[in-house]
Amino acid sequence: MATMLEISDLVVDIRSGRSTVRAVDGISLTLDPGRTLGLVGESGCGKSTTGLAVLGLLPAGGKVTRGSIRIDGHEIVGLREAEARAIRGRTVGVVFQDPMTALNPTQRIGAQVAEPLLIHGMANRSAAMKQAVDLLGEVGLSRPAAQAERFPHELSGGMRQRVMIALALICGPKLLVADEPTTALDVTTQDQILQLFDSLQQSRDMSILLITHDMGVVAGHTDEVAVMYAGRLAELATTHRLFGGYRHRYTEALLESIPTLDTPRGQRLATIAGLPPNLGGQLAPCRFAPRCAHAEQVCFDVEPQWSEQGEHGYACHLPRRTDADLMTESAGAPS
Amino acid sequence: MIAFLVRRLLQAVAVLFIVTIMVFILIHRLPGGPARAELGVQATPTAIASFNQQHGFDKSLWTQYWTWLSELLRGDLGYSFKENSTVSALLLDRLPKTALLAGVSVLVAVLLAIPLGVVQALRRNTIVDYVFTAVTFVLYSTPSFWLSLILVLVFSVNLGWVPAQAPQGSIGAVLSQPSGLVLPVATIALISVALYSRYMRSSTIDNLTQDYVRTARAKGAAISRILFRHVLRNAISPVLTLLGLSLPFILSGTLITERVFNYPGMGLLFYNAAVTQDYPVLLAVTLIVAVATVAGSVFADICYALLDPRVRYAHA
Repeated sequence: MATMLEISDLVVDIRSGRSTVRAVDGISLTLDPGRTLGLVGESGCGKSTTGLAVLGLLPAGGKVTRGSIRIDGHEIVGLREAEARAIRGRTVGVVFQDPMTALNPTQRIGAQVAEPLLIHGMANRSAAMKQAVDLLGEVGLSRPAAQAERFPHELSGGMRQRVMIALALICGPKLLVADEPTTALDVTTQDQILQLFDSLQQSRDMSILLITHDMGVVAGHTDEVAVMYAGRLAELATTHRLFGGYRHRYTEALLESIPTLDTPRGQRLATIAGLPPNLGGQLAPCRFAPRCAHAEQVCFDVEPQWSEQGEHGYACHLPRRTDADLMTESAGAPS
Repeated sequence: MIAFLVRRLLQAVAVLFIVTIMVFILIHRLPGGPARAELGVQATPTAIASFNQQHGFDKSLWTQYWTWLSELLRGDLGYSFKENSTVSALLLDRLPKTALLAGVSVLVAVLLAIPLGVVQALRRNTIVDYVFTAVTFVLYSTPSFWLSLILVLVFSVNLGWVPAQAPQGSIGAVLSQPSGLVLPVATIALISVALYSRYMRSSTIDNLTQDYVRTARAKGAAISRILFRHVLRNAISPVLTLLGLSLPFILSGTLITERVFNYPGMGLLFYNAAVTQDYPVLLAVTLIVAVATVAGSVFADICYALLDPRVRYAHA
């Protein structure tokens, strides 16, 4: 089976003024048809930049300096603007974080959802409007024909995000980039939107690149997970493998900072000390080392290599030992 | 929308009522008084007293105001001794000509300013942007009498392309000689272009960074489509608001410009009335300008409501 999205050794530099920041530094990942890949990390780790690079929508000053992005086998790095436009909205759809601002305030919902069909010449105006209304119904808007006549400010946040999803899917893309699609929504709405993603994915057989900082979202709604830290890939595994035996100390720290219901009252929440590094400054060979509770001298001297076993890869000098490791060790230990 | 309109119009009426009081008091506090203006500085106190009695100027200011207001509501704006005509007849002749001059000038200014602002926004902080900014600001800061004289010097005297004097007579006469309008219109339009193009520039820049533009790009829309289908409508609202609010600025521009080109409009009428202390005309023109100012801001609000559905519903 051909891969839907193949990113290899992607480097994105963002220039602002005189300084250049390497927002994404050599990440590689693949996404198969019909699967969901979760891209997680803290703010500023390069996950959104990666998503924007896939769309060819890097902000002003942003540039893919190295590497390749293939969508359904076609290289998109270095495409001319007109060629990139033909892919955007048609082969790749996108749902952004804030549905409050992502829709045009002065255009009716239906026209906004129908527009990609007109841009890509896939339908005439009346057919496009009809498809838009049908799709608005499919994403869960009641009385879609009436809603299509309304303006964005007349809809709730969750409804607007459904409109965004309809807008992203109207041309039947094979790949959907969802950049923090639930972050701006309240918790109950979040869950409904994520379930909508799951059901749409099944009915449409599309791949989803789900960019999020929420490990809970990753656990429930992805097939694979890529953990990013400071522009690099820390760990990459199937979701099942990752949660069963995460290795990277950053992944460990992320998961430990999620409070659980049985955490005793009064116990301090676990946090990761410090802040993510400034990507424009000097970086430690292991970028997480300055904040890592387990870091040793080697982490500050040598860059950790990517090691891979089956469907599980990570870059850490002192990986967390899994239960399996502990069992092998105790079995092999001299008695 | 209807409720919004009704409320907005009621507000306008209230504002105008207050304006009539202020205008009336201000003009009647001017030194000299109508009798002296009419009979001359040599007039005897008896002559002045009898003139005042004859025209009701000896009554209290409030009585005079009520008389004036009630006549105004019946459409009687008084009589100009200087022009030897009713003020209504004068205005009926002059107002359309000023409306024509102001309207065409604003239209030209906006038609220049909108593309200019968009181009500046797209090429912001480049040499193109700087040059347009410099040119429009120099024009904006130029006194209109000076600019019109330069235009006359270049285009009438040296090149002989267009006449230096506006056609005289009724609005028909003005319309039959459009070449006479070129320089007055150019003066007002060139001076006010910066007013609108700056707003257009910043509002376009503002809109281009909005998330909905990124959404449009993500749909695969080309920049032209993004501009015309998405940004323009959002970006133009502040300019249209400004258009309504800039009416006083434009009308004061016509005052000077009409004087320089001897254009027979309301501005020239006002200028002459001010010089000759023609009170009924001064009052009427000031009132008309006030009406235009209020109407301009109502127009601005309505435009905004039409262009931006959020305003429409918030006020309805």
